[in-house]
Amino acid sequence: MKTGDVMEKVLLIIPAYNEEENILKTCIKIKEYNKKHKTNYDIIVINDGSTDKTKKILEDNNIPHINLIHNLGIGGGVQTGYKYAYYHNYDIAVQYDGDGQHNIRYVEKIIKPIIDQEADMVIGSRFISKIDTFQSTFARRIGIRIISMFMKFATHKKIYDTTSGFRACSKEIIYDFSLSYPSEYPEPITTAELLKKKYRIKEIPVEMNERQGGVSSIRYWKNIYYMLNVCLALLAVKIRRYKRCQKI
Amino acid sequence: MSKNLTLTLIIVGLALIILTTFILKKGRISEKHALLWYAMSILILLLGIIPNVFTVISKQLGFYVMSSFIIGVFIGILIIITMALTVMIAGQKKKTTLLIQEVSILKEEVENLKKSR
Repeated sequence: MKTGDVMEKVLLIIPAYNEEENILKTCIKIKEYNKKHKTNYDIIVINDGSTDKTKKILEDNNIPHINLIHNLGIGGGVQTGYKYAYYHNYDIAVQYDGDGQHNIRYVEKIIKPIIDQEADMVIGSRFISKIDTFQSTFARRIGIRIISMFMKFATHKKIYDTTSGFRACSKEIIYDFSLSYPSEYPEPITTAELLKKKYRIKEIPVEMNERQGGVSSIRYWKNIYYMLNVCLALLAVKIRRYKRCQKI
Repeated sequence: MSKNLTLTLIIVGLALIILTTFILKKGRISEKHALLWYAMSILILLLGIIPNVFTVISKQLGFYVMSSFIIGVFIGILIIITMALTVMIAGQKKKTTLLIQEVSILKEEVENLKKSR
C-alpha cells in the first residue's frame, strides 16, 4: 500500500479449513485486484489441516500457504498467520476469510486508519451502516447484540460488530497476537483485550457477501452456546489485568 | 465404624498403593502425580486403621454418619484433582498449539528453501 513515500508491507491472512470450493476464487480475486489497482497485498493462506483438496489447490497454483500439521481451529490458524506476519516484518496484517465473504475493495479502507496512525486495529463492521447486504439470521443478530452489551460492560466501549473476522492490525498488535491469541471465539475476546490494553480500535462500515460455499464455522444450533461462552470470556477479560507487549 | 468398612478401606488403600506403584514403574505417570495418589492411598489407609480420630473430626464437622464424612472428603479431593487437571489440560493445549504452529511455519520455510535451490 502506498502512502506518500512510504510503502507499507500488507499481509492478508486467509485461514482455510476445507475451502476447496472458494479458496482459489478468493486468491485470484486478490491477485486481479493487485494488478488492477497497483496494490501489493501479500497473502498467506493458513490451511488448517483441511481434509479436502484445499492443500492440493494451494500447491498446484503456487499460492503462498502454511499447512498446519494438525487442525487447530480458527484461533490457532489465524495466530499462525500473525506469527508469519511478525517473522516476515509486515507492517499491517488483515484477517481475510477464505470463503468469499469479505470484499477485497474494502481492504484499502480498513488499513487506511492504521497507515494514518489513527487506529491500532480496524474492524470491518456490518452493523454500523446500512450499506451491508449480508443477511444474518435473527438469532445471530440478537446474539451479536448481547455480546456487544457485554463488551460495553467489560471495556466501556461500544463495538457494534463484535464477531467480524475482517480486521486490520498494526505492527504492534501483530506482535501482541503472535504471542497470545485465544483458540476459541477469538474476535470478541481479542477486541476486548486490546481495548483493556488501551489500543485504539475503529469500526468502519463494510459490505460482506454471503458465503459462496462450504459450511460456516458457527452453525445455527451452536449460537446460544457460542454466546454464553463469549459472554463468560468477556466477564473474565473484565476482571483480568492487562499490560501492553513492549518489545517489537 | 463397622469392621467391614474398616477392612474395605484398608484393602482399597493398599490396592491404590500397588496400582500407583505399578503405573509409576511402567513410566505412565509422573512422580509428581504419583505422590498425589500415594497421599490419597495413605489417607484411605489411615481412615481404616485409625477410624476413631476421623470419627471425632467428622462429628466436629457436623456429619452424623462416618460414611458420609468419608464420601464428603473424597468428593472434595476429587473436585480439587479435577480442577487441577483442567488447568493442566489448558496449559498443555497452549503448548501443543505453539508447537504445531512453529513446526508448520518451519516446515513451510524448509520446503521453500528446498524449492529455491
